[in-house]
Amino acid sequence: MSEEKPFPSRKSYRPGLVFQPSAHQHIGRGIEKLVAAVRPTLGPTPRTVAVSHLDNDKKTPDVLDNGGIIARRVIELSERDEDIGAMLARALICRQHETMGDGSATAAVLLGALYAGGVHYLAAGGNAMRLRHYLERALALALEGLNGQTTRVEGKEALAQVAESICHDRPLARLLGEIFDIIGAYGQLDIRKAHSRELSREYIEGMFWNSGLFSRDMIENRWELQTVYEEPAIVIADFQVNDPRHIMPMLEIAVEEKIEKLLLIAGELSADAIAGLMLANGKLKNFRVMAVRGPGANPDDRQAAIADLAVLTGATPLLKDAGHRLKDIERANFGGARRAWASPHNFGIIAGKGDPRQLRQHVSNLQMQYQRTEDADYRDKVRARIGKLMGGSATLWIGGLSDTEIDRRKALAEATAGAMRAAVKDGVLPGGGMALLNCRSALETKLNGGADADERAAYRILYDALAEPARAIYENAGYEPGEIFARLAHADAGSAFDVINGQLTSERNQLDSAVCQASALRNAVLTAGMALTIDVLVRHKTPDIARSPG
Amino acid sequence: MCQASYSLKFDDPADTVYALAASPGGVCFAACGSGLYRSLDGGLSWELLRISQEQLTTAVAVSPDFASDRSVFAAVKGGILRSSDGGDTWFTAAFPAPPPVFSSLVASPEFERDGVLLAGTLEDGVFSSEDRGVHWQPWNFGLFDLHVLCLALSPNWGADETILAGADTGLYRSGNGGRAWRVADFPAELAPVLCLAVFGAGARGGMMLLAGTEDNGLLASQDEGRNWRRLAADSIDSAVNQLQVVEGAAGRGALFALVDGTVLRSLDGGRNWEIALRADGAASAMLVRDDVILMGVQGQGILRKPIDS
Repeated sequence: MSEEKPFPSRKSYRPGLVFQPSAHQHIGRGIEKLVAAVRPTLGPTPRTVAVSHLDNDKKTPDVLDNGGIIARRVIELSERDEDIGAMLARALICRQHETMGDGSATAAVLLGALYAGGVHYLAAGGNAMRLRHYLERALALALEGLNGQTTRVEGKEALAQVAESICHDRPLARLLGEIFDIIGAYGQLDIRKAHSRELSREYIEGMFWNSGLFSRDMIENRWELQTVYEEPAIVIADFQVNDPRHIMPMLEIAVEEKIEKLLLIAGELSADAIAGLMLANGKLKNFRVMAVRGPGANPDDRQAAIADLAVLTGATPLLKDAGHRLKDIERANFGGARRAWASPHNFGIIAGKGDPRQLRQHVSNLQMQYQRTEDADYRDKVRARIGKLMGGSATLWIGGLSDTEIDRRKALAEATAGAMRAAVKDGVLPGGGMALLNCRSALETKLNGGADADERAAYRILYDALAEPARAIYENAGYEPGEIFARLAHADAGSAFDVINGQLTSERNQLDSAVCQASALRNAVLTAGMALTIDVLVRHKTPDIARSPG
Repeated sequence: MCQASYSLKFDDPADTVYALAASPGGVCFAACGSGLYRSLDGGLSWELLRISQEQLTTAVAVSPDFASDRSVFAAVKGGILRSSDGGDTWFTAAFPAPPPVFSSLVASPEFERDGVLLAGTLEDGVFSSEDRGVHWQPWNFGLFDLHVLCLALSPNWGADETILAGADTGLYRSGNGGRAWRVADFPAELAPVLCLAVFGAGARGGMMLLAGTEDNGLLASQDEGRNWRRLAADSIDSAVNQLQVVEGAAGRGALFALVDGTVLRSLDGGRNWEIALRADGAASAMLVRDDVILMGVQGQGILRKPIDS
């Protein structure tokens, strides 16, 4: 790789057009440089990359082993034409990291090999558009090959293996394996900083929301700053209650029905209404009531939370849009739970008394929404809702020796957790590059049987590229890839090379998330195909600094 | 033909036997509305044990290693009691309020090693203990229906940690010792599942499941619960309250089912059934051990009959 000056003078740029073969060469060099930057991070024995700070080059550089984070820190290359290629690779790597949490180095290595192979063929007279078309066809076959190797992963040991192959941090992987064994693909996991050196986890029974009591006067346990009700009735309203007289019918029904504990979840309560409830607490014998603010930061979130609470508790919510008022409440509006608790900032429900069939159906509908939506934010919200309804949540506390270490490990845990969800939901593949290597058999028939030279070349390019991640992993671990490939060629089917122990094994010691690997392969092929069709570069006088990848 | 006779007679016509359990050595326990009873002679005679102020005892389980550890567990309203001297003295494990009502209590087949107990409840899902019943915690991740009617552990528990829970709305399965649950592929319209039996678990699959339902007779699955078929629809068409697999010589086991006041026996994997014992009232529990059938009959007591060869 040529030596780079960190920030060249912008005045040196000259506007102009770059044609072939220079355009391909410049893009290729840009891609090659970024791939070379993240390639050492691939595999269970990653090497590190030191990245200086943008704002202060005297600060100790960050030492990173995550391809996605490294790529994000590469803002631009000094050579503008190469920068175009580098930014294409950067966009691919960052997108893979942000959407999947894993597979970014694999995607980079695949892109590098695909682009290099493609340019080599185009230089010999191939047609870029046809090559792209056949690469995408070959991709479909390779993805089928991956599908055929996908297996479900169950049990904390196997899940810990998956986690370790993603984060390379054994203590963290063990805890994540245990947590995902319990919470599954959709469960709620909060990853928080701890004030200790250790990693730890806790499980919370029932479900809770981040909104709390309207008044501290409703706290009954002053030591624990919370109120716990057993067998409470629950009323849900999404509107503001101003008039204290409107709460009277609710209290009358509660008294008639011999309800002893009542939880009111409302959009807002006026000071008078709160005073009315406190008065009821003081005056009515064997009756306690507390009120919490309905969860959700915006109308959509509030509506979703009310729908979930209604199904969970069996309550029929009172809705502003339907013209409901609290004074028109009926017995059917009341739901219930075995226990409910509330503090100034949160409230929770344990064992809601809603119909389990409706709850199952509701969760099933949410899972379908999760599968169908393309909107990442909405997906996260739907997943969080499903997680709440599963009946519990987990918290992973990240400790460490310094704030920097804690921050780094927390980011690593979050990225790994994202990939783990995908692995639990969609299965796993043999790790260490073996799944991609095994896919090559699906392409073999097309290598020589293609309709024309472009087709045969596309299959050959993908065939060769699929070996590249394994090659990088062996190199990173200090082995000679050619020797390992030769040993694998003569080994039993299903064998893999364990780079940790340095021997062939038939055991699946390393596992990768299937959906992450498939995404890495798909995105790499699509990006390479698009890059290969770029024929001309247009160079502006003062190019903008690279923005966040699109 | 051997005659059936009541070895325990209730004074109260409303009294019921909720569960029966026995140790390999012949010590039997009966969880009844009037308390916990013990028999030291294979169910011939019974004594009422004073285990707590709460008389109603809804479930009982005996350690698989009872001969050495003498451990027995009994569920009363709001708590589970444990005894490590065969039922002479008892200790209580407290549960969070409101007090749960227990429907089932099972000990791990590897109890000596792992000390795991699981308890199903009618409103609070499943509680588990990993320290021989001293501390209990709820484990209900993914268990949408907390009205648990029965629990069954895989015979291969030591390797697969598989447990099934029959509930009002279907069947749930856990592959990690009850720490998390997933909805099993059981037709929801055939629920509730009143009882379960699991047998024949090999190292990899081969587990056969039987599920007794309230209105849809007996269902069987030979693929670990993915597909279900009705068994003996002509002879079993009412509520199946309990199932038991009794291992026989040379791997020839027998299935027993408590159906509508009658204990049925099948020697061919559930295809054909014969009457083994019929009661003159509603039966709520049965236990088959060695060569004896014990059946709890509502308002009557415990009916005992040697099994015809």
